[in-house]
Amino acid sequence: MTDTVLTKKQRQKRTRTRNLIIIAVVLALLAILPQVTSDYITYVAVLAIIYAILTGSYDLTTGYTGPLTFCHGAFYGIGAYASALLTLKAGFPFWVAFPLSGIMVFIFAAIIGYPGLRLQGHYFAVTTFFFGHFIYLVILNSVSLTNGPMGLRNIPPPEGFLGITFTSLNSSYYLIFIFGVIAVAFLYFLVNSGIGKILISIRENEELSQAIGVNTALYKVLAFSIGAGIAGLAGSLFAHFFRLLHPTTFAWMTSEMVVIMALVGGLGTLIGPIIGAGIVTLILELMRFAPEFRFIIWSVALIAVLIIEPRGLMGLVRRIQGGKK
Amino acid sequence: MSAFLEVKNLRKEFGGVVAVDDNTFSVQQGERLGIIGPNGAGKTTTFNMIAGYFKPTAGTIEYEGRKISGLKPHKISQMGIGRTFQIARAFGEMTVYDHVLTGLLAHHLHLRPTAEQHERVEYILELTKLAAFRDNLVKNLTIASQRRIVLATALGTGPKLLLLDELMAGLTFVEIDETLEELRSINEKMGITLIVVEHVMKAIMQLCQRIIVLNYGKIIAQGTPKEVANDKTVIEAYLGEEETYA
Repeated sequence: MTDTVLTKKQRQKRTRTRNLIIIAVVLALLAILPQVTSDYITYVAVLAIIYAILTGSYDLTTGYTGPLTFCHGAFYGIGAYASALLTLKAGFPFWVAFPLSGIMVFIFAAIIGYPGLRLQGHYFAVTTFFFGHFIYLVILNSVSLTNGPMGLRNIPPPEGFLGITFTSLNSSYYLIFIFGVIAVAFLYFLVNSGIGKILISIRENEELSQAIGVNTALYKVLAFSIGAGIAGLAGSLFAHFFRLLHPTTFAWMTSEMVVIMALVGGLGTLIGPIIGAGIVTLILELMRFAPEFRFIIWSVALIAVLIIEPRGLMGLVRRIQGGKK
Repeated sequence: MSAFLEVKNLRKEFGGVVAVDDNTFSVQQGERLGIIGPNGAGKTTTFNMIAGYFKPTAGTIEYEGRKISGLKPHKISQMGIGRTFQIARAFGEMTVYDHVLTGLLAHHLHLRPTAEQHERVEYILELTKLAAFRDNLVKNLTIASQRRIVLATALGTGPKLLLLDELMAGLTFVEIDETLEELRSINEKMGITLIVVEHVMKAIMQLCQRIIVLNYGKIIAQGTPKEVANDKTVIEAYLGEEETYA
């Protein structure tokens, strides 16, 4: 009887300890992963981490602040191409091109978001869908700049420093892993800060949020642009890790994948979309034997998830724990 | 000398429909003003114009000597005008505590809420008798409670003027009495000016020192509750039958 009646503080402490242990275990596993597994699995892990950064940043915009968007893959692509072109054509080192590409995507998203976010709900969602496709078409057709459907090759790897080089698979893996941890930690800090509460208030009821003094237009553009900027950084890492870019990587399918991963994990929970990214990447890889079928199977699986638990995996976890509804 | 809130020739048209028709009135600091009228009389439209949600078709609104008509809602909130909504849709996924805290953060943003902000939330929760629900998710509470939470959140922002839109709809008599007492203490102890739109006649007659009656967007009468209740035009237009209140 006594241990069922825990005070709120004790319960919070227990949950926190348990969460910290889970996070530590996951981080430790990811840290030793390239040492103990094959190169193929390391590649898959890199993809999963990049997708985790994408869905995490997507969750900031759509999960926490509200506006549904379908163009996260486009921001990812702009970041990738911006970073690749800055190194290839302008001769910048990666360490300059990387932050620059993030800043460029941030500014670009702000320019799109400022007029675009005046649209409400579905109208904005549809706009972002076409915007995403527009970016894909621009990348595909600006042959003189992006090499169009031929893609970009020979993108340099990040320059080494202090004796560390990023030419090997393992060292590049660690670079992406560390950035992933930093990005997720930053997002976690943001959504749990005072700003996070303000963003949630916009998602829950924009009118009321304005009534208590929130400049909702500003915060929506800010959340949209920060989410986009982080996606741009992920794109830059992708470009310099795989060292070749092709427009189809950033076609509408990527944006859809991000939305699906976030939905599977549970929007507005941050950790959910990140787990969702891992699971979906894994399933897609496992189903490589049937490339034509995997999206069909996957779509059916998605519909099933949404029927069983619309709040995604995190909703399921909460239901199993029997906690708050 | 200008009044605390000065509304001059305020007009709002939606297409061809005149919702608010050249109304002029003023509110003194510390006053409790009621606005009544049948459905569609323009009460909420007037609120929406004061709070910045609608732009007036014509006319001006001045608050503490500054023109506020045309400003955005968040600017008006930052200037010290709080409001509640007729249909309360509070921030459902937040706890009651966080809901009130968000109002404070909206006015003074801190990445980590300060100790004073936490203290103030505690104080507001005690004052509005919501302390028992502090860890409940807002969406699990009744609509009436959600309206109280919105009121508490507005109070947290430290307003000088509160616009209360049908705060008491759907409450029991006991709850109405409690709310009236609470509103009186908000007005008298905290010095917050109140403008109240309400359909519960008994409540508004007891609470307000002065009442404005709207009908089809026009002010048809104003005065003390007693004067208004005995006004012939009001009785004809609104109360329907001759009755005396208060």
